[in-house]
Amino acid sequence: MNIYQPNLMRIREIMDETVDTRTLKLEFEDSSLAEQFQFSAGQFGEYSVFGEGESTFCIASPPTRTGYIECSFKATGKVTQALRRLAVGDTVGFRGPYGNHFPLEEMKDHSIVFIAGGIGLAPVRAVIWNVLDLRDQFKDITIVYGARTVADLVYKRELEEWAQRPDIKLCLAVDPGGETPDWKGLVARIPTAVEQAVATAEDTFAIICGPPIMIKFTLPVLEKLGFPGDRIYTTLENRMKCGIGKCGRCNIGPTYVCKDGPVFTAAQMRKLPQEF
Amino acid sequence: MTHKFLSHQELSSLVADLLAAKTRVIAPVRAKDDPEQIDYQLIQCFEEATFGVRLPRRSLKEFFLPPTEVLLHYKQTKAGVEIREVPTVAPPQVIFGAMPCDVAGLATVDKVMDWDYSDELWFGRREASTIVSFLCSAMDATCFCTAVGLGPESASGSDVLFTPVDGGYVANLITPRGEALLHNYGSKASDAQLATAQEKQRDARRKVEPNLPAVSAELGGWLASNFDHPTWKTIALRCHGCGACAAVCPTCHCFDIVDEHESADEGVRRRNWDSCQTSLFTLHASGHNPRASQSERFRQRIQHKFSIYPSRFGEILCTGCGRCSRVCPGGMDLPTILGELVNLSQAKPEVSGQ
Repeated sequence: MNIYQPNLMRIREIMDETVDTRTLKLEFEDSSLAEQFQFSAGQFGEYSVFGEGESTFCIASPPTRTGYIECSFKATGKVTQALRRLAVGDTVGFRGPYGNHFPLEEMKDHSIVFIAGGIGLAPVRAVIWNVLDLRDQFKDITIVYGARTVADLVYKRELEEWAQRPDIKLCLAVDPGGETPDWKGLVARIPTAVEQAVATAEDTFAIICGPPIMIKFTLPVLEKLGFPGDRIYTTLENRMKCGIGKCGRCNIGPTYVCKDGPVFTAAQMRKLPQEF
Repeated sequence: MTHKFLSHQELSSLVADLLAAKTRVIAPVRAKDDPEQIDYQLIQCFEEATFGVRLPRRSLKEFFLPPTEVLLHYKQTKAGVEIREVPTVAPPQVIFGAMPCDVAGLATVDKVMDWDYSDELWFGRREASTIVSFLCSAMDATCFCTAVGLGPESASGSDVLFTPVDGGYVANLITPRGEALLHNYGSKASDAQLATAQEKQRDARRKVEPNLPAVSAELGGWLASNFDHPTWKTIALRCHGCGACAAVCPTCHCFDIVDEHESADEGVRRRNWDSCQTSLFTLHASGHNPRASQSERFRQRIQHKFSIYPSRFGEILCTGCGRCSRVCPGGMDLPTILGELVNLSQAKPEVSGQ
């Protein structure tokens, strides 16, 4: 079996997040693989539909939940549209886990602020559940999540669950014009929501993922709050084929998203050439 | 270091014996479509081989990383998907008459192919191969191997290096695999033969050296810290983005992975050569392209070869073969461009002409 050959997984469950975004719950066909498989929050994989090709997504479920993985994707290209045509019980290929991960060991005994926009919640969600499953090892948990409209919010059932928990501060926001009459969250863009929801950077790490424009305007807010660049983590994506440093396309200057990332600190990102 | 002398007759017998044993033998031959041109090809008899005429049109890369290769076979069944693996063990092959630049390219690409994940398809072929390179005598004004730390006599990646002398070759046995290949062939090289071989190697170097001064180690650092230098805006104006340079390059190894149906329910996953010079290479599904212009794509080519790869793996990702310049329809000339970049990287440009 060469390094480009995927393992086979079955779709156990399909969950529609929005009109075009879907989550698949996948289980390894080979039960011994299912037991051996380990990963860390932030890692990614190459998912494939046979006859259509491979596509790169993060593993959206936490490593604390074993026996399955989840991926969330928007039907945009050839492979994601093909993935959307699959049904429960169908087979997909999976190679991984690849790349580095969020350093949760380092974040233990600290507070964490999670900030996500749109489908950027997928990699952050893996970390959120990982932290919630080990809740007593962390201090305050704040989640700031927003999307363009209420309809674009993903993992809605989990947002409700987080809203009910007393040990999480959840702040939801939609862009102006994206609210519905019964919307109870903020009508604001993410940087404003962060300003309102986050009081201090003391003993706190920030994990942020979303569209580049959101990250660009949120980083100054975090810096103003006092977050140093090496306590702000994000995850990058770039077009990939191999996922393991050989196919030559995901590098940003000298930095390979697949091998050096996908998780980077804001301090590391600032040193990258403007090529992403 | 061990040396031997092989007469023309002994080389011919060696090749005949290998062919008789059903070993794949690859050598430079006259191209069928253009007798002026040379291609590396599988040969059936020794007489097909043509040594030392000119640089083959393409490098040896295709014998290790084929332009297209199957990574797996799949079949959709009612129960699911079945995968049939492809073999990672390759049949033994011996390459005669390899150009030192092409062989050095293989050794350089080994580094990335072994970066944490070992590419079994590449190394399966590498391990099955014995490479006999010949002192280059086909250099022209576009060659610049000596500028990138190699030379027409470089042994990097070779198991044996042949240097032509009267009546045959002085064989420099570089690896145990090379020694094994010539175990039953040739005789002790005389001091005179060794001296002649050394003189020929020095002569060959002297023919290439004037083409381009050595690319300094500082160039990589300069490139890394001059990602936004204005020269990138103009340096690639002649580039069409066709990717011909990558196809003929001994070290360009970037690839695409695609699926192909072969019937309604069967097909293959393939790895195909790709090039960072094409606009689709980095295009996201969203429509965003991190390298949207040709100048950004050409910058990637130069940065990868002369800064990123050296900083990662300690070697320049270029062997100075000059093929990219020879095939470029736009007249992009790498040695000229390198010369300009080296000048830019030196605070006080030196006046040459001695």
